[in-house]
Amino acid sequence: LSRSSGTGALAQWVLVELQGEVEPRQSGGLAGSLLGDLHYTCEGVPVLIVGHHILYGKVVQLEKPFAVLVKEGGAPQPSPGGSHSCYTVTALIKTKLLFKTRPKPIITHVPKKV
Amino acid sequence: LPAVHCLSFGPQAGGGECCLLQLEPGLCAELEAGRSLVIRGEKDEHAVLCSKDKTYDMKIADTSNMLLFVPGCKTPEELNADPPSCNIIHSQIAGFSNNYWELRRCRPKLKKLRKLLMEVPYEGPDSQKDQTLTFSKYTTEDLLSLIQASEEEILHQLQVIDACKIEGYWRILDFEYEMKLLNHVTQLIDSESWPLSKVPLCACLEELGSLEPREMIEHILLSYGRKYVDDAGNVFFEMREDKICRAIAQMLLQNAVKFNLSEFEEVWQQSVPEGMTTRLEQLKGLALVDKSSRPETIFLLKVEDLPEDNQERFNSLFGIREKWTEVDITPYIQDLCAEKQTVGALLTKYARSSMLNGVKVYNSRRPI
Repeated sequence: LSRSSGTGALAQWVLVELQGEVEPRQSGGLAGSLLGDLHYTCEGVPVLIVGHHILYGKVVQLEKPFAVLVKEGGAPQPSPGGSHSCYTVTALIKTKLLFKTRPKPIITHVPKKV
Repeated sequence: LPAVHCLSFGPQAGGGECCLLQLEPGLCAELEAGRSLVIRGEKDEHAVLCSKDKTYDMKIADTSNMLLFVPGCKTPEELNADPPSCNIIHSQIAGFSNNYWELRRCRPKLKKLRKLLMEVPYEGPDSQKDQTLTFSKYTTEDLLSLIQASEEEILHQLQVIDACKIEGYWRILDFEYEMKLLNHVTQLIDSESWPLSKVPLCACLEELGSLEPREMIEHILLSYGRKYVDDAGNVFFEMREDKICRAIAQMLLQNAVKFNLSEFEEVWQQSVPEGMTTRLEQLKGLALVDKSSRPETIFLLKVEDLPEDNQERFNSLFGIREKWTEVDITPYIQDLCAEKQTVGALLTKYARSSMLNGVKVYNSRRPI
């Protein structure tokens, strides 16, 4: 049996959707490491720079918002039908930044020899 | 836009303690209003999510993409509306996933409710069994933790099955005890010559209070009558003819495998209170008439005794009878219809139709 409950005013988070997988450059897991920089153009197009790649995306309002559930108790995977555990709804996600285009490598301008 | 979000993975990010739940319409508003959602299910059951009044199946949906959840990340509109003081915003990714929970509205799983309450039906205050048992008796809280349905759906079903609360526990009456109570009331109505539409509560309690507990008398009146109050504030009941006739039919039918139809109809009419008329339509979902036998017969078949799962229900029905007309089968599949689903749609999905003597009949799609 698990329970999820809304608490107070719920935070609004944003979902960032990327193609493929994210892997740490160094071993030791992802925690603490930098992903990249998120910019918006004047037209509101999100642009993500990850390493030497640049990704273009779009802002999507989700038809079906998500709730973010955080498990209390520290067990690794949430599994309904398992032993009693407690989930809390930490945030709602109504917007996502969808990056579907393949990353383009950033090529710095190589000055020609005059 | 000048502001830049510097995204990095937060300390808990790889932990997998966060997961995503896709919300159906209305659930988001409920959460924002501060209401709870509950996930229910025993080890051997598929989990369901319950809001205050609805039940949803839960299923994992995989995506080939990576979903990162970022608190405090601003959209372009938000940045334009409320420009930050500093142009570099450090945002921590709280977690990531390549799957999420999907919800699909489903019928509440209420068959278990009846099963639990039937473990120890209430046989009356004199019953010895009752005093010794403490388990197998369920409070509202117990039911909420055991039944995969929302609270409103559970409370509604308790009313539908005429359950009553005795000493804090929900109980279903043993059928014989129930008939005994009903009989007290109908006999009294007859001897007092009260009209069936105006049975006074007070007089019933006074006359019958020495035979049975007052709560039980009131309960039987509530189960088999419609309560109303007159201008003077007196409580009356309009007795429900269909429900009473139906109960009496059940009492007659449960004593044999099947009955000769015309004999049954005669005995049945004689057994119901004066002023009430029996009709076969009253027995939908309770009994089935076999028109192919000579003479025609009738036997007990209660929809609540049949399986809850759609395919199993149809298998069971086709095991009882090979070919069904729509009229005959409808009472036995009506409760399977999901929101906005029709009996016709169910028949198309689970049965095959053919013509028999000019009448459309349904049989199983697969060999039984």
